[in-house]
Amino acid sequence: MKRRIPLGICLIMGILMIIQFFIPHPVSLEFSSVIYKWVIVLMAFALVLAIGNLIRHHGQKIRKKKQDWPYSVVTLFGMTAMAVIGLVWGVDPDSLYQSIYLNVMAPLGGTMFALLAYYMASAAYRAFRARSLEATLLLVSAFIVMIGFMPFGKYIHARFPAFAEWVMQVPNMASQRGILLGVAFGSIATALKIILGIERSWLGGKE
Amino acid sequence: MRWYDRITKIDRRIIYLLLTSLVILPFFLKITIPQNIMPQTKRLFDFIESIPPNDKAVMISFDYTPQTQPECHPMAKSLLKQCFSRGIPVIGLSFDPQAPGLAVDALTSTVREFDSLATNKEDSLVYGIDYVYLGWKSGRIAAQLDMGESIAGVFPRDYFGTSIDSFPLMDKVKNYKNVAIVVVLASADYPLDWIRYPQTRYGVNVGAGLTAVMAPKYYPFIQTGQMSGLMSGMKGAAEYEKLVLEHGYARTLGTAETGMNSQSMIHILIMIFILLGNVGYFFSRRSKKGMK
Repeated sequence: MKRRIPLGICLIMGILMIIQFFIPHPVSLEFSSVIYKWVIVLMAFALVLAIGNLIRHHGQKIRKKKQDWPYSVVTLFGMTAMAVIGLVWGVDPDSLYQSIYLNVMAPLGGTMFALLAYYMASAAYRAFRARSLEATLLLVSAFIVMIGFMPFGKYIHARFPAFAEWVMQVPNMASQRGILLGVAFGSIATALKIILGIERSWLGGKE
Repeated sequence: MRWYDRITKIDRRIIYLLLTSLVILPFFLKITIPQNIMPQTKRLFDFIESIPPNDKAVMISFDYTPQTQPECHPMAKSLLKQCFSRGIPVIGLSFDPQAPGLAVDALTSTVREFDSLATNKEDSLVYGIDYVYLGWKSGRIAAQLDMGESIAGVFPRDYFGTSIDSFPLMDKVKNYKNVAIVVVLASADYPLDWIRYPQTRYGVNVGAGLTAVMAPKYYPFIQTGQMSGLMSGMKGAAEYEKLVLEHGYARTLGTAETGMNSQSMIHILIMIFILLGNVGYFFSRRSKKGMK
């Protein structure tokens, strides 16, 4: 019963949600609207679970004084402080919450991401070699797109931007479309397997 | 060590130093290199231009994070300048929990810039009449689909906790029928959901402003007409800034122009290093073959 009831709910709701998507009747729309609101609420609970997990994980790390535990103190303090500041003093454009977000979190996030440029430059220099025909093609197309999309690409050759655009519009688009179609067919097959109860790993536990 | 071995073993500290210098340089040397406008950027701009003033709203989904702020924030500001200058109402919302802070900043700074230039009260922008920010909502796809029936049903209150029924703008904008286009400014795959679900079901127009690495995935949707335009990375942002400036919606270019110069310098540097690496690799392989 522990497995049959969830499988039954999944089958019925899966079929109903597919049917309602294609029938814009008021009853169908009312039904879907109720279900969407349930989904929104359920997804919000996932956030509560995530916060719970974060507190438990870092709490254990602090209690057992594991390696780098002071960072866990900073994490928990940061989370609690931002939540309290936001809830007590609000999130208006001139609030303390917004000020901390723009002056602490935004520069920190930007800095972390900016480090990627250093690794990319170093890695491209060391690893991007024309070892095979495929690697050479990749190298040449990367150069065309980079030069073509640079503002002064047109000064190197007037047709460079158009050629870069062609690389994006034709070979890139053909491969992207193939990937998208593959993913879409895979998603349909997986969804059907879940709805029909063939794929049961989402239930957890043993078969 | 031979010359070709030497050029494949440049110390990474030299690479890092050159990289840092070239990123910083354009901020001191004000160079303006004319941008060539890509067709998909122009398409988005023209679509917004075709919306009649004080009619349907533009919905902007602010879904980028501080990590991609340099690319997406200038896009948001340019788009807002165009909408506000043309009298098009704007509804902002977010599905990325990190995004609301940046959305509030983009809206506030653009509105303050406009209000500082206003000659009378009627020229200034009013929250709730000219623009609204609804905030963040969980259950992205469900929320996007449900907004097709009622936006107020999904967002009963705005980001600041005010009931949206009290806003005159939301009296006019009930669902996607009153939205001319949804422009998704994102650093993750959010536009795909807008195309798959609300557009398929409700026919809402979708445009996007994305990071450069994400943009190639969306080219097929531009070709099929499922997307009404696309700003692609820093270049897209700089192009939109240029279009907005040329049409008189802004007084100066924004930060994307300078960012584009830094990015171009870095691209050249990376290309030089890749070339050096490959020349060294080619000669070293030839020398090894000769020895055999």
